[in-house]
Amino acid sequence: MEGSSRSHYSEKEKLNVFNNEFLPHINSMYNFGYRLTLDEDDAKDLVQDTYMKAYRFIESFQKGTNAKAWLFRILKNSFINDYRKKSKEPNKVDYQEVESYYNSDDVDRQITTDLRVEALQNMIGDEISNALNALDVDFRTVIILADLEGFKYDEMAKILDIPIGTVRSRLHRARNLLKDKLSEYAKKMGYKNA
Amino acid sequence: MSHLDNPFSKPSGEKVTCLEMLQVILDGEATEEQHLYFKKHMDACMPCYKSFELDMQIRQLIKSKCCGGQVPDDLVERIKSQVNSIS
Repeated sequence: MEGSSRSHYSEKEKLNVFNNEFLPHINSMYNFGYRLTLDEDDAKDLVQDTYMKAYRFIESFQKGTNAKAWLFRILKNSFINDYRKKSKEPNKVDYQEVESYYNSDDVDRQITTDLRVEALQNMIGDEISNALNALDVDFRTVIILADLEGFKYDEMAKILDIPIGTVRSRLHRARNLLKDKLSEYAKKMGYKNA
Repeated sequence: MSHLDNPFSKPSGEKVTCLEMLQVILDGEATEEQHLYFKKHMDACMPCYKSFELDMQIRQLIKSKCCGGQVPDDLVERIKSQVNSIS
């Protein structure tokens, strides 16, 4: 946390900020925690730890700035430090391998994807949720931040501590990987050319 | 419309691809001008139209199916009481 511009809060102000600016994001925070850990109990602990850290470091939160992005950043860091090793990672893939694969000539194939809207329309909740959960956590994360939570490139760059260019390319690859997964499900459901 | 009028154009003057335009739109980074341009462009570009529809459908599915569940009832209380105990 950047220490250059710390705010000073009285105890009453601290609770005020906590209750009015931090707690209203609990739904998004829990969902993010759950999508990262894929375990309800771990998600609860992760969210609780995050809120405790947010309270402890509240003086490095500047009033009027984006509380949600600040909280997401703490949650992401807590996840990496405390949970990543023990979290359930379905179909764990080698990140480097995926990265270089999608950096190859294949990146432009999205425009000719054979997944069709009609196939998606017959999917129930589980397929889309499983497809998202099956992605490597770095790819899953950018989809959640961009498509579920509506964060912008610059906010995601801060939350993830990566350059904006990396946010952009990772998001692009994540969308392609998600389509691959959905396409697999669609084929299983009997959609030819899905 | 020449690509010089394209609001997605790069400073280098290099031509933008459909895919690049689509990503700016999907990522929520497009200006109003870019939105209008892309909307017009889709009328004439079937692959863009199809890709856009598919991506929007996926996003809608994710939003409706992966905003997963209720926060456990006791979580907010647990957090509040822990904060009160240290403040």
